[in-house]
Amino acid sequence: MFPAPIQTRPRPAQITYQSMLPLALILWLLPLLAVAFFSVKPAVDFTAGNYWGLPSTFAGLENYGKVFFESDMPRYLLNSVLITVPTVIGAVALSCMTGFALGVYRFRGNLWIFFMFVAGNFVPFQILMVPVRDLTLDLGLYNTKTGLVLFHIAFQTGFCTLFMRNFIRALPFELIEAARVEGVAEWRIFWFVVLPLMKPAIAALSVLIFTFIWNDYFWAIVLTQGADTQPVTAGITSFNAQYRAAYHLMSAGSIVAALPPVAMFFLMQRHFIAGLTLGAVK
Amino acid sequence: MLDSVILSGIFTILIGVGGMFAYFWASNWVLDNVVYPPRGENIGRNINRANAIRPWLFLFPAMFALGLYLVVPVFYSAWLSVTSGVAEDGGWYRNYTEIFANETFRVSLLNNMLWVLVVPAASTAFGLLAAQLTDRLSWGNLAKSLVFMPMAISFVGASLIWSFVYHPDIDIGVINALRGLFGAEEGVTLVDGQIIDSFLLMVVLIWIQTGFAMVILSAALRGVPEETIEAAILDGANPFQIFFKIKVPQIMGTIVVVWTTITILVLKVYDIVAAMGNQYRNLEILPTQMMRYFDSGNYGFATAISIVIMVLVLPVMVWNIRQARAELR
Repeated sequence: MFPAPIQTRPRPAQITYQSMLPLALILWLLPLLAVAFFSVKPAVDFTAGNYWGLPSTFAGLENYGKVFFESDMPRYLLNSVLITVPTVIGAVALSCMTGFALGVYRFRGNLWIFFMFVAGNFVPFQILMVPVRDLTLDLGLYNTKTGLVLFHIAFQTGFCTLFMRNFIRALPFELIEAARVEGVAEWRIFWFVVLPLMKPAIAALSVLIFTFIWNDYFWAIVLTQGADTQPVTAGITSFNAQYRAAYHLMSAGSIVAALPPVAMFFLMQRHFIAGLTLGAVK
Repeated sequence: MLDSVILSGIFTILIGVGGMFAYFWASNWVLDNVVYPPRGENIGRNINRANAIRPWLFLFPAMFALGLYLVVPVFYSAWLSVTSGVAEDGGWYRNYTEIFANETFRVSLLNNMLWVLVVPAASTAFGLLAAQLTDRLSWGNLAKSLVFMPMAISFVGASLIWSFVYHPDIDIGVINALRGLFGAEEGVTLVDGQIIDSFLLMVVLIWIQTGFAMVILSAALRGVPEETIEAAILDGANPFQIFFKIKVPQIMGTIVVVWTTITILVLKVYDIVAAMGNQYRNLEILPTQMMRYFDSGNYGFATAISIVIMVLVLPVMVWNIRQARAELR
């Protein structure tokens, strides 16, 4: 196999390569490791000046317990779930339909509508801020999760449509033709032929949109306020303001806020990477 | 109380999904059975007409949402930027001339340019490096996952994590603690509002985006035909020549895609500067500046800045659409 695998290279080169790489990786993850380490240290360690030594006692349970039972964190997490899940469902469902329409039917304006979705993908969201907040206020949805969900669905539709349309285009068109020849109704073709074939794309897109929406901060602070509606990205900033000097709690809070998307990523890694690759390179 | 929140959430989802399914089924049914039934004397014409309308049934909900939340707001913002605030009495251009006359605006424009130049370049370069180094490694996939992990963390979360890294206390800040290992006694304040500190904030975004670049580029590297590399080795090329003269030119298209994708993201970034350098004038970028005007109710200036951001995105957007068109031909 070309080029020569690292195992057949000279010994010193091998050793430098194989030891530098893990070192570089540890350096890369050092910020995360440091925060994870702080989050299991008891408060006394910080007052006693034992910052980087081994924790005097393992206080992980206590610190995370505080985050979960003595702060608004669970509320924020729940809000995040209630904002993210409906958005994922809505955006994916809508884009399955638009992707089907743009990928399967040839009609006048098809390309132009497709380009409109592509362009929508690039619009800087700042330009939408004032009108969307006014609109949300007018609809009576300001400071509600529904208002945030509706906007997220609309804004993500551009990217999702692009993604779904390209995926459907790559499917074997003969299947649809065959079904048509058999006299299957169009909505049945969508439901029973195309949709089952789109499962991998649906999985990939769902994971991707989940992290996008979970990690949104900008719209959360524009359209909502307070612990009743705001998601965890906004919650963690107020949490940190509350525990400004309590480093162990701040660290634990940061880990809790980051955990769901990271867990999602590790569980669904294959779909996540498939999604990114499909979305970026057509 | 929590139960009722969850219940109402589930209820909303059910209504949404049910509504969507009902719309989809009912609209198709009406089209096929009421408007253009495929029977009677006009059966052929009716089927054709129904099929010409059907794509619009599928498109309608998304287009309605996109129009309401995207198309109309873009024009409304443009309208506000020439009619509200100082533009009310005076020329339509006054919001623009006044923001350009503002010192802080010029600083944020400059900073934004720096972000756009540095972050995509550095992320792509690091991503390429990581993709190449982990390519033929036995534990390459694990290494890739770890490099990629920051991508799953929110910008705010990452900013908070990096605040620990830059913390001015000699014992708390990771960088200061490392300096302490080498004998430093006093902590240094890393982020204190110098123009140069923008680079420290950029590191956070580079940290997040490198994983994205790596994933895409490593897929592209896998696609480079073996024969071209074999031929280069037979001709006596060294590893650096193989990488820069054989592999990189062949994945140039993907490199450009990654570069532009990150560029667009950088133009929109707000969270990192807001979370880490909000109190410093010198670190402002256009979106943070805009948010400041928005919060104080100065919609004229805020929308004018958003139009400036839009103009900056426009070349990349046009280039991307042309690219998509070229591929369709």
